[in-house]
Amino acid sequence: MAVLLIAIPLLFAFVSILNKKYAFYLLALVAAFNFVFSFFLEKGMYSIGGFGPFGINLLVDQYALIGLWLLNGLFFLTVMINLKASKKLATVLIVLLAGINGLLLTNDLFNLFVFLEITGISAYLLTTENKKPVSSFNYLVQGTVGSGLYLLGLVILYSMIGTLNMSDVISRIYTIGATPTTLLLPFMLMFIGLGVEAKLLPFNSWVKGVLEKAKPLSGTLVSSVIAGTILLVFGRLLTTVMVISNADMLITIILIATIIAGEVAAFKSTRIREILLFSSIGQAGLVVYLFTHGLLMQGVLLIIANVLSKFVLFTIGASLAEAAGDEVEELRGAFKNNKLLGIGFTVAALSVTGLPLFFGFVVKLNVLLGIFGSYDLITPIIILVVSLIEGVYFIKLLMKLWYGESNVQIKNVLMTVSVLSVAVVLIVLGVYYQPMMDLVAPIKDEMIMIIQGGSF
Amino acid sequence: MLNLELVVLATLLGGVVAYLLSMINKRVGSAVTILVSGAVFSLLAYYGFGNSIDQTVELIPNFVMFKVTALGTFFAVLVSFVFFMVSFFNPFFAERYKYPNAFNLLYLMTLAGVVGVFYASNFITLFVFFELVVWTSMFLIPMGKGTKASITYFVFSTVGSFAMLYAIIFMAVGFGTTDIDTVLAGLTGTAALIVYGLLLVASFAKLGAYPFMVWLPKVLGNAPDPVSAVFSGGIEKMGAFIAVLAMIKISPASAMFEAVGLPVQNYIVGVIAAVTIIVGTMMAIRQDDAKKLLAYSSAANGGYILLAFTIGNSVAITGGFFHIFAHALASTAAFLAIGVVTYRTKTSKISELGGMIHHMPITYVVYLAAIISMAGIPPMGGFISKWLIFQALIQNNLVFLATAAFIGSIGSFLYVFRPLAALFLGQKLPKYKDVKEAPLLMLIPMIILTLLSVVAGVFPTLFLPMINNIMTELGFQTLMTSGFQIIGFNGTLDPALVAAVFGTGVLVVFILFMIFPKSRKVGLMDTYTGGEFIYTEELLHYSADFYAPLERLYRKEPFVNKIYDSIRIKVEELGAFVRYFFFTNKPEVTVFWIVAILLFIVWGDII
Repeated sequence: MAVLLIAIPLLFAFVSILNKKYAFYLLALVAAFNFVFSFFLEKGMYSIGGFGPFGINLLVDQYALIGLWLLNGLFFLTVMINLKASKKLATVLIVLLAGINGLLLTNDLFNLFVFLEITGISAYLLTTENKKPVSSFNYLVQGTVGSGLYLLGLVILYSMIGTLNMSDVISRIYTIGATPTTLLLPFMLMFIGLGVEAKLLPFNSWVKGVLEKAKPLSGTLVSSVIAGTILLVFGRLLTTVMVISNADMLITIILIATIIAGEVAAFKSTRIREILLFSSIGQAGLVVYLFTHGLLMQGVLLIIANVLSKFVLFTIGASLAEAAGDEVEELRGAFKNNKLLGIGFTVAALSVTGLPLFFGFVVKLNVLLGIFGSYDLITPIIILVVSLIEGVYFIKLLMKLWYGESNVQIKNVLMTVSVLSVAVVLIVLGVYYQPMMDLVAPIKDEMIMIIQGGSF
Repeated sequence: MLNLELVVLATLLGGVVAYLLSMINKRVGSAVTILVSGAVFSLLAYYGFGNSIDQTVELIPNFVMFKVTALGTFFAVLVSFVFFMVSFFNPFFAERYKYPNAFNLLYLMTLAGVVGVFYASNFITLFVFFELVVWTSMFLIPMGKGTKASITYFVFSTVGSFAMLYAIIFMAVGFGTTDIDTVLAGLTGTAALIVYGLLLVASFAKLGAYPFMVWLPKVLGNAPDPVSAVFSGGIEKMGAFIAVLAMIKISPASAMFEAVGLPVQNYIVGVIAAVTIIVGTMMAIRQDDAKKLLAYSSAANGGYILLAFTIGNSVAITGGFFHIFAHALASTAAFLAIGVVTYRTKTSKISELGGMIHHMPITYVVYLAAIISMAGIPPMGGFISKWLIFQALIQNNLVFLATAAFIGSIGSFLYVFRPLAALFLGQKLPKYKDVKEAPLLMLIPMIILTLLSVVAGVFPTLFLPMINNIMTELGFQTLMTSGFQIIGFNGTLDPALVAAVFGTGVLVVFILFMIFPKSRKVGLMDTYTGGEFIYTEELLHYSADFYAPLERLYRKEPFVNKIYDSIRIKVEELGAFVRYFFFTNKPEVTVFWIVAILLFIVWGDII
């Protein structure tokens, strides 16, 4: 049944090519269907095609369900908010939807590669709406290099252990007795491959080109929905599949460098979309850091918080930039006539900064408690200093947007409503966070059960 | 029984109501702030001093836990009183704000946060409400002039908050709980020193002690006047609260500085406090803007409070608490008086004003009483606290710290005199000839604050029970009193007698004034020039460059500002480096890095 989440979008993607006039309605229909259907899934492992242990499996557990609910919902909202842009790119968007759902559901490494490519290609095509062909091309090249490396790592791994099923990898490694040293190469190749898409530091020069002039549709989708998907996938791989403990120092350096570089570059930026994209890079580094240090629950919470906040921030930020110019100096006082959008933006920005009454604060507190819990005393200092820098540039941005003499006015009722609802969710979750905690609690146990038993 | 969480929640709800009503009519919204803050103050005072506040928490999720202590009650009642008095000014300033609805909401949210901080039972609650106050007050600041001040405030506040957060999580992981009393009592050894230092960083950042003094004049100078009053009288006291937690509840055992009988770390804090006093006083002396002057004065008084707590005996600590009380009253009254001047004349620069006493005599008396209290002159409350602190300083042979405190006291007389002589007294400027006295609703809080200051100075023993409760709770001896007198180390203070002598002096001078012939009034521009015609009378007006000979001695700015600027520039440069190196338009850079990392792994040296 879970395969419908992937099959229906793919089917309707083909249909929409045949019938361009109704492409957008098909898109809306499919997105709505996916969102609603994801609530009716039952947990379990679904075998596709019945090829026994060699075939493709789909795994629906709490981790996948959280991703599906969140990302399908935000995809639907983003598409609905940007009607005009969606109409032009309807087919690409339906394929993207299929790719995202596939990434979240799959339990097979090669299938993961396939969906990675599908999502990647749709993302490259999506960024063409920005009318910056060089940046889209750079994204294409780097993304393809990344996927190629992932494939190479995958092939080496398969030749070593003979299986591609994600839940079986660890048990096969034990039976074969492969040492971490020999496993380092394939897993690092896979790490780098995914790292390109996940915006880790030396591999992320595409991010600036793609997102700095991003329109509301492509910008929000790339920075919020696709980023969330890739990070969730990365998280699952890092927790249940990859054995990279030997490269600890290298990975820590890469991740800390990503965190610091992202926030510092945002501090220097004066354009609203650049500030937001560098902030995404910093947060992505932090998420992967949490996953590599076994803080699974905190990583998922941070992904949820980031996806929600970036949805709000990018939608409003890109709309403002399209309406009145990218430089924050040109946007001074933009919220004077857009108070509701301003309130939503402020709530999301304060949540990312980690101020109380908002969900981001709960997340940050959990993150710090988790890191301290592993008796690491230096990393919290780095994270706190970086948070300070992040807070400063967000507050500078907020002050400039509220106090000035701009006459920009954005009239998009659906945007205002969805942004405010997400803002309300962030506030409610900031105070009554227990439901969210209960939601993410089963994840760790389920993952352990999967590794040990192969199913649950 | 008063349920504390209901108070906090009702205040937040009141903020939302004020926001909604402000959309209909700004004054109604401001009136809501007056009512709610008044209700909070009276409920907390009545039930708090009657020891019947209920601390159970049902509605808010259970990381928030309250604990009613005498320390918390003292601070909460004092600060909510300040908020209540200042809220009377809100209706008048409402039309000057860009977002008046949000102002009322944020004002009440700040009050809720402050009450939560003082009654917190565990550190997580403390931190949550602390940060809540930081961001709600941060959005209040730019409603005055300019937006840079709020960023400075955020930076310094967050440095303090994050230091405290590190300490909190350090303790949480070490002890498994964050309950304040359990954790602070259980700290030993190096851990105690680390937490002590980190909490004190938070306290310095909030009080505006020396290295962090930069934000106070910027914020209090640029914020709207009610906000400045609330900051100086209320929010900075949160810093004092953290200082009490750090210095009195943790007592890290370490090397003693034998010469003065204090532990080393206390003496270091004392030195920082002394530097704060002197730098604050000196910077205040040369300010031309009355609000910045009062801001530096607040910082200097924060130094006195820290100094009192470092000494650590019962007289000093009582003096510290009394100083918190007296300074809150006096500084709020002073800021409100300047607020009246700004309201009527739209400026607070001393060199542009003069002779305001003729237009607003009551405001003048309020300001006079406030600055007398801040300078520590009888018969006001500030004198009692300074007397106690000086007693303790002398008793403990703290020569250098005592010298700093005395210099600060004398300097404070200099800087409080400047606005008095130049702004209120002095020559009237013709352009202000239609300025009127403050409206009645503004006069009420100022008069109440002044009367309280006077009573605190003449009959301080009336307020001592509230401080004695705290002393007993903290485990110190209470101050010895007999009747209305206070017994210190080197003698007995009889405030009523001192006030009586003061009053007699005033009476004698008044009689003399009545008897002797009056002076002749002349216009402002009637200056002597020895035959020359004057084109720039304003420069010869004696408010300009009031203490010029003294100011010339230290004309250069303190160097701390330059350090902060250079830190900011370095961070920006790092950002530029990262952008140049890694975020280029060339995919070959990425491929280069991928190959480099793969080579690194395959080489296998480090691994």
